[in-house]
Amino acid sequence: MIEKKLAKKVLNLLLESGGDYSEIYAQKRNLNHIKLENSKIENITTGFELGCGLRIIHKESTFFAYVDSIEIEKIMDAARVLKSALDSSSKSKILDLTSKKPGFEMEAKKRPSCFSQSEKSELLFKADSSSRNFSPEIVQVTARISDLEDEIFIATSENTSVSASSSKVFMAVNAVAGRGNEIRTGYKSIGGTGGFELFLKKSPEELSFEAARMAVAMLDAVNAPSGSYPVVIGPAFGGVIFHEACGHGLEADSIIKDASVYKDKIGKKIASTCVTAIDDATLPYHWGSYLFDDEGYNSCRNTLIKDGVLLKYICDYKSSKKLKIDISGNARRQSYKDIPLPRMSNTYIDTGKDKPELIINSVKNGIFAKEFSGGQVDPATGDFVFGISEGYFIKNGTVSDPIKGATLIGNGPEILNKIEAVADDLDFAPGFCGKGGQSVSNEVGQPTLLVSSLTVGGTGI
Amino acid sequence: MEKEKNKKYSDRNTDIAAICEKISEKVSKEKVDQWEIYGAAYSHNEIDLYKKEIENLSFADTRGIGIRIIKEGRTGYAYTSNLARDAINSCILKAIENSEISDPDENNVLPLEKEDLFLDPEIDDDELFSRKILDFSTHDKVTMSRELENAAFSSDKRVSGINNLIYEDSISETAIINSNGFSKSFKSSSSFMYISVISRKGSDVSTGDYFDYKRDPSFFNISDIAFQAVKKSTSLLGARKIKSLKTDLLMDPFVGAQFLNVISGIVSADAVQKGKSLFKGKIGKKIFSIDVDVIDNGIMRGGMATQPFDAEGVPKGITTVFEKGVLKNFLYNSYTARKDGVKNTGNAVRSSYKSIPETGPSNFYMENGIKSFEDLLKKIDRGFYVIDIMGVHSGVNPVSGQISVGAKGIWIENGHFAFPVKEVTIASDIFSICKSLAETGNDLKFMPSGGYTGSPSLLFREIAVSGN
Repeated sequence: MIEKKLAKKVLNLLLESGGDYSEIYAQKRNLNHIKLENSKIENITTGFELGCGLRIIHKESTFFAYVDSIEIEKIMDAARVLKSALDSSSKSKILDLTSKKPGFEMEAKKRPSCFSQSEKSELLFKADSSSRNFSPEIVQVTARISDLEDEIFIATSENTSVSASSSKVFMAVNAVAGRGNEIRTGYKSIGGTGGFELFLKKSPEELSFEAARMAVAMLDAVNAPSGSYPVVIGPAFGGVIFHEACGHGLEADSIIKDASVYKDKIGKKIASTCVTAIDDATLPYHWGSYLFDDEGYNSCRNTLIKDGVLLKYICDYKSSKKLKIDISGNARRQSYKDIPLPRMSNTYIDTGKDKPELIINSVKNGIFAKEFSGGQVDPATGDFVFGISEGYFIKNGTVSDPIKGATLIGNGPEILNKIEAVADDLDFAPGFCGKGGQSVSNEVGQPTLLVSSLTVGGTGI
Repeated sequence: MEKEKNKKYSDRNTDIAAICEKISEKVSKEKVDQWEIYGAAYSHNEIDLYKKEIENLSFADTRGIGIRIIKEGRTGYAYTSNLARDAINSCILKAIENSEISDPDENNVLPLEKEDLFLDPEIDDDELFSRKILDFSTHDKVTMSRELENAAFSSDKRVSGINNLIYEDSISETAIINSNGFSKSFKSSSSFMYISVISRKGSDVSTGDYFDYKRDPSFFNISDIAFQAVKKSTSLLGARKIKSLKTDLLMDPFVGAQFLNVISGIVSADAVQKGKSLFKGKIGKKIFSIDVDVIDNGIMRGGMATQPFDAEGVPKGITTVFEKGVLKNFLYNSYTARKDGVKNTGNAVRSSYKSIPETGPSNFYMENGIKSFEDLLKKIDRGFYVIDIMGVHSGVNPVSGQISVGAKGIWIENGHFAFPVKEVTIASDIFSICKSLAETGNDLKFMPSGGYTGSPSLLFREIAVSGN
């Protein structure tokens, strides 16, 4: 996208500011969103984004600017403005910008651009009829498909350059069921890096069927209880518990600011022995995967917690320098308009040995939280919440009545020590994670697991 | 010492209206029934401060356009952040292509003047754009940020750190031009300051945040931002769980505003028409048991969501959503108004030029009651003063109406604060919680949340609080 010769010029101009590090991040992106509601394709949007972000790091400070163009004159203009934010004390560097090679392949088989909008619309219609055929109680189906093709060029004063392209596809179905005055919802999504071959894993019909099943099942829901209960957390999206309770607190920017309960805990036991947690951006074709992070480093598989012992933080270039730790390949940004931050990729609790049925059988009076609507954490205190969207009572080791949506609330370090059993049914689910106003693709994962006690926020008292 | 120069915003009009005009000349030659061009230009400056130093400093000067095409009742949309000729040409083509694939709907028509509920409002340009924002250099903003940090540390010894300290401002210009002859633009400014404070006592940690949001930074009361954040954080030190019970709930105005933000989604005509609103068929029904008014005021003086016209160019005005607790009106954009055969309330919103107009609130608030916060407090024998809630996006289902969110605050005994509480949830559902609203305070406060949402302190009776 940008010639190396020109990139060097820009990087050196930025370094004239006296900065320690300079960077160019150019991006070209085509996006499509198609939305079906009321059994109609309501809208189709196509977007084209092109631009370039420039960054200087000087000691502890980051200076950032961007332009909606990749024309060299415009980039140079922006570089001059950015440079003037610092004092000039020239420091040029000889750069040869070695091109980096990706560590693995993630080529799309059916690229979004080779797939017509009508073909994509067909997938949405299939999803719509699948939900509506499931039950006459389904009153509304909202289905959407988003795809993007992305090309990036990164060059940094660390003497590297990266050119990479990738594509992503995401589909979500929200089914609404109604009975009398009651309305319930069911939501299912699938997402991956790559192309429309994603639907070989799970068809739009299956996805939609699941959403409809959930919505209809919840029509029979009784009030959720309140108070502390043992909670069996279902596989896949259940991984949001680790994402919130621990993952965010391991992001190195919180560690640096003394705003994480996991500060100074490397090498210490912070979780039950049955917990091994991994952040792996190299899982081929997963939603949170990438070949290079947004600072041009190769993506990595990082074991964060091994048998309950904390091994690693999640970092970007700046935080790795500050904490004097190895780069973990976790710098991520929403687009060229944003500053990269240390973020999770595909984060999961690794598979265990127990059988999911046996874990449920072991609970006398508790909750089975099967699906979730998301969560939130305050990394400084470790307090987190996450919402159950499909849950059931467990009575005498058997799953019984469905319960209405309820929030689970707890404290990260406490909960990690209350994980008593981890099953062998590891699965993943895609999501979007927001931090510092930026949303990035994130996958969570886990097998079925048991938490000995968690506060369930129902209305039944 | 920082080395940044005195960069200020330059006072210039962006050429976004002219760009839209130029594009319109091209689009009008295409074989389409209707077209609309939405352009946005935006200058933005953000400073994150940490330990007196700039953590991040960013500048942006950005533009983008979105093109909506209607052809035989089918809508297509495309946008581009790049305004080079080729990009614009392919954007037009994409919008037309997309319109050929979406399904037709007779209500897909651009707004018509005769469908407007309101006349063009008279809003002073100064009301939306404060020229004073041009007087502040990056250096001034960094200095203000440092003042805020100092004020936080010096106001209480228990303050141990700052989670986030953000100064952010922007100048934006929005232009809309369409095939019905509409062509207008407006300019606005905003500045925002936010601090999240960490305080400690022994091994106990607590956080608290506060903000200010105005047309320019000269309105900021820095010591108050610091004071409020520190008070929130330190008042929760030593917090504990309580036993599950049903009890009175006193919501802080900002918590109330988050509740009203949920309500604003449920009164959107779009949700109602698609069977995703519990308020469907409830116009004229008493939803709150007390006589409260809830207003969507698109032209409110001092309202940060105030603008002359909505995201489709329809005049903004004042819509009474609830009057004396009775549901009166839904909020409409052009599509939903035509579908219901009613006048358009001017509630089309877009998050940016990247999206088609949807329906949403502007300055949306519950009117003040007459009692002071202290009066409300005195009315509570045993109850929970909720200072902060967590997990609204995951714990409130606006479609089913179920509410279950994390909460922290202070336990109340005999009209007085007793001890801080954390790690509990509050749970209810939309109809029940509206019914259990018993009193409103006279301390209306607003916060940015989609629109600009406001609430006084709210007293609810008998709400489920879950703890041990």
